[in-house]
Amino acid sequence: MRRFATGAMSFGSISHEAHSTLAIAMNRIGGKSNTGEGGEDAMRYEPLPNGDSMRSSIKQIASARFGVTAHYLTNADELQIKMAQGAKPGEGGQLPGHKVDEWIAKVRHATPGVGLISPPPHHDIYSIEDLAQLIFDLKNANRAARINVKLVSKAGVGTIAAGVAKAHADVILIAGYDGGTGASPMSSIKHAGLPWELGLAEAHQTLLRNQLRSRVVLQADGQLKTGRDLAIAALLGAEEWGVATAALIAGGCVMMRKCHLNTCPVGVATQDPELRKLFTGQPEHIVNLFRFLAEELREIMAELGFRTINEMVGRTQFLKVREGISHWKARTLDLSGLLHPAPNPSGGTLYNSETQDHGLDNILDWELLRHAKPALDGRIPVFASFTVRNIDRTIGTLLSNEITKRYHAAGLPDNTINFRFSGSAGQSFGAFSVKGVSLTLEGEANDYVGKGLSGAQLAIFPSLNSQFVPEQNIIIGNVALYGATSGELFVRGQAGERFAVRNSGATAVVEGVGDHGCEYMTGGRALILGKTGRNFAAGMSGGIAWIYDPDGSFPDNCNTEMVELDPLDSDDEDQIRALLRKHVQLTQSQLAAYLLDSWVEEAGKFVKVFPSEYKKVLQRAQYATV
Amino acid sequence: MAHITGFKEFERELPPKAAPQERVAHNQEFVSTYTDEQLNRQAARCMDCGIPFCHSGCPLGNIIPEFNDAVHQQDWLQAYQILSSTNNFPEFTGRICPAPCESACVLSINREPVAIEEIEKHIIEIAFSKGYVAPSAPLLKSGKTVAVVGSGPAGLAAAAQLAKAGHSVTVFERDDRPGGLLRYGIPDFKLDKWVIDRRIQLLEEDGIEFRCNTEIGKDLPAAELTRTFDAVVLAGGALMARDLPIPGRELSGIHFAMDYLTQHNRRVSELPITNEPILATDRRLIVIGSGDTGSDCVGTANRQQASSVTQFALMHEPSTDRPAHAPWPSYPTVFRTSTSHEEGCHRYWGIHTKAFLGDEQGQLRAVLVTDVTWETDVLGRRIAFTEIEGSEREIPCDMVLLALGFASPQYQGLLEQLGVELDGRGNVHAPNDTYRTSLPNVFVAGDMRRGQSLVVWAISEGREAARQVDIFLTGKTALPSKNAVAMFA
Repeated sequence: MRRFATGAMSFGSISHEAHSTLAIAMNRIGGKSNTGEGGEDAMRYEPLPNGDSMRSSIKQIASARFGVTAHYLTNADELQIKMAQGAKPGEGGQLPGHKVDEWIAKVRHATPGVGLISPPPHHDIYSIEDLAQLIFDLKNANRAARINVKLVSKAGVGTIAAGVAKAHADVILIAGYDGGTGASPMSSIKHAGLPWELGLAEAHQTLLRNQLRSRVVLQADGQLKTGRDLAIAALLGAEEWGVATAALIAGGCVMMRKCHLNTCPVGVATQDPELRKLFTGQPEHIVNLFRFLAEELREIMAELGFRTINEMVGRTQFLKVREGISHWKARTLDLSGLLHPAPNPSGGTLYNSETQDHGLDNILDWELLRHAKPALDGRIPVFASFTVRNIDRTIGTLLSNEITKRYHAAGLPDNTINFRFSGSAGQSFGAFSVKGVSLTLEGEANDYVGKGLSGAQLAIFPSLNSQFVPEQNIIIGNVALYGATSGELFVRGQAGERFAVRNSGATAVVEGVGDHGCEYMTGGRALILGKTGRNFAAGMSGGIAWIYDPDGSFPDNCNTEMVELDPLDSDDEDQIRALLRKHVQLTQSQLAAYLLDSWVEEAGKFVKVFPSEYKKVLQRAQYATV
Repeated sequence: MAHITGFKEFERELPPKAAPQERVAHNQEFVSTYTDEQLNRQAARCMDCGIPFCHSGCPLGNIIPEFNDAVHQQDWLQAYQILSSTNNFPEFTGRICPAPCESACVLSINREPVAIEEIEKHIIEIAFSKGYVAPSAPLLKSGKTVAVVGSGPAGLAAAAQLAKAGHSVTVFERDDRPGGLLRYGIPDFKLDKWVIDRRIQLLEEDGIEFRCNTEIGKDLPAAELTRTFDAVVLAGGALMARDLPIPGRELSGIHFAMDYLTQHNRRVSELPITNEPILATDRRLIVIGSGDTGSDCVGTANRQQASSVTQFALMHEPSTDRPAHAPWPSYPTVFRTSTSHEEGCHRYWGIHTKAFLGDEQGQLRAVLVTDVTWETDVLGRRIAFTEIEGSEREIPCDMVLLALGFASPQYQGLLEQLGVELDGRGNVHAPNDTYRTSLPNVFVAGDMRRGQSLVVWAISEGREAARQVDIFLTGKTALPSKNAVAMFA
């Protein structure tokens, strides 16, 4: 039963009742439920009085990073990076505005009533090295959790899986095309994806051939519904299984396929309070389903003579092609490749038997942790300085994990841990750092600064000895603040591309950004004191950006599909000036100091980027309070 | 689907019925129609489910959400086309079907189901009034001939489909008019005879020949059919009523329900009655059996002004909620009040009839009964009953109607002469996928094959059998099947 997982269905797509019932059931049997990509309400981390728990063991990290905070990551036994979804490979997701109620919005760090978009790609993953970095980041954020990478079945998935195994994933999930059909577009249901059988066989064989199979757990999902399905998956190479649709149906889903309309009549895929009351599923229904699945699998194992699943994994010789299928299409099928017993050059196990070396033993954070001990133990402020090199990656993340374990979502009081670094920081500086942590960096930083920022304050400025003009030079890499939920970032200098993509609550001051700034942003503030690249604010549905645009060139670089460009109002001016003062204080920015000095002349050169839908919702809220 | 929240906004509503005391004064139908707005709202309650369980709830595989949508958009032609693509006789099922589709309706999980049956009836009546319903058989004939024995719903459906496929169809009926139980079993107040006549006329215009007063095996040897026709479809129904062989069964005043109903139907249609009249007028009537036939006896007896009408059921009183052994979307046994019950009836549950008691003249005077308790399994299914000691008593009465169901088809004549193989339950044997009997060119459909069942099942059987006959005659078929897998295999 511990080898079972339920599928990734988000709170948002399905109701709290349905989502938590699945979680309780899986916790009862020692399996794993999956948050999906919509975050999870922190109240579910606490066990219920009767001993049940609504906490989902698997926390998913998808492209939109909804609700992916340090607290969320810490409360997981497994962290799943969703590279794609079997039912709609290559596509993002969408939660229509009418399903985003107060609660969903809170959990996802979004605005009620404003639709939410999951972008098709992860903006911090463009290559396998980027994925390896995210795996490393997540391992830092919760080293007790397995890192699971979800792939879809496709031609060549074996090569991808081998790469992912080398990138130190602990689990690889091969998702089939049959899964998740509730609200997928019809075009994807019908004509996209491949069955898990093909991808699984390819992944298993390739991993084995490359002596990687024993380092990872292989999982399969996509309409696994019977013990027979599980047995076939095991024989093709999977030692764990995901069951989503069947579990949901055991909980009362009647396959209405109205998940996107919010009218689910059985309270499963709806946020309508009246309809949610009609949810009748009980954890024991789902527990029963898995018990029967396990029992059926056990019967098949007994028939085949296997004592354990491990004995069974990858033994394709026990599968044979059914004879006498008269369908004309079936006659042309050659399944020998699928059933080929792959060579096993290393003689290693056909199942997971080794743990990955995640390289956490010698990271800088252990030293940070030592210096932070008084803060962790007694909230006593600490100060320290360190020299960093670009091999010092993911600074502050493991420290933040430790803070979260003790102080949960609240973190520590502001400026409790004050660490100053000098040099060139590696990737993911301050990723998933929490409240109470202040990291100051003199020098420059690589990509992913403040990824998933969860409350910390980061300040970065060039070396005081440097000769260049800060605001004309890039001093932090790409994809800073990706998926940040809270906290602050001050950069004296420019940032690379994809700055503050999917930011949902952090505040940033930066002196210029590359292309695609603030894309898909849903909350927070961005003050940009210089040029932006093109396609600024694409898909931005929330939050506000202010751009200092003295030569009036900004509108050409802005994607105005979802945003409006407004002049500042007095409230904006107050906020900007406060940020500028803080920026000067933390980074000694001369540009900010100049703007403050010449505020009366320069204020008119700011442009306010205001998402239209967000504006409407804010205005409605204002009327409501008046 | 235009109105996605219709199911939340509107409640289920049925068209008004005439008051009981008013309607028992005549023998005609008494259910009125929806207003346009009511009909529109009822159609809007359909949720257009991704997996429409009503499709599989309906033995015909009616494409229900689609016709509901067409009704909602007031596209009557399309609604009719969708409905008639799976159902030859919506005007029958729209009136007398127990609507297993509604039991399977997703809304019925936690609300009242969509009023599918009423919507169906409205679609077909509107289609008739607008002239959409017209003969549709092709002019080009296949040159093949088919005999259909029996003109009940199964026989009519088979005939209609075979005519559509271009075959020359002759329907043999031993009664004086076609329709079978539709005509002589079901009372006019549920299904007016003009509804049947209207359809028969259409079928005749389609080129189907009806030969009434012709009992195969008596008036015409069965062998002649198999010899002169390319194929024969047996649709003779399950005629042999189940008896109650207890002491006193021979007393005068005890009749089979179907004898009684047939006679009343003939009387209402002003047709000659040759046998001895069976009338409940001024009599204390007990109907034994709690099914639809029993209910029809109750309604008929009330119209004949019986002095009292009582109905016995051996089973315990069912709950108004679904029992655990019949979860959604199955068709459950629940407590139902038919329109006939509304008109007045004492209902006894859990009552066991031990003997009929008579007077010196051999006339029934009472029944001897005991109350029973039922042993049930965990899910509430009945296992066995035991009599409650000391509950034995007499209930006085002048007349008893036995409505205990039908045991088998009639063997004498047709079946005996053909010598077709029977199945374990005594019905004519034919596999589900071929409808073909043990004889090469003889097929069977309806109650004769599956045992006593619903009109909607009979229509379904007739359609599926016709498809098999078409394949047998021509090697291929364009007739539809409710079983999509079978259609494309």
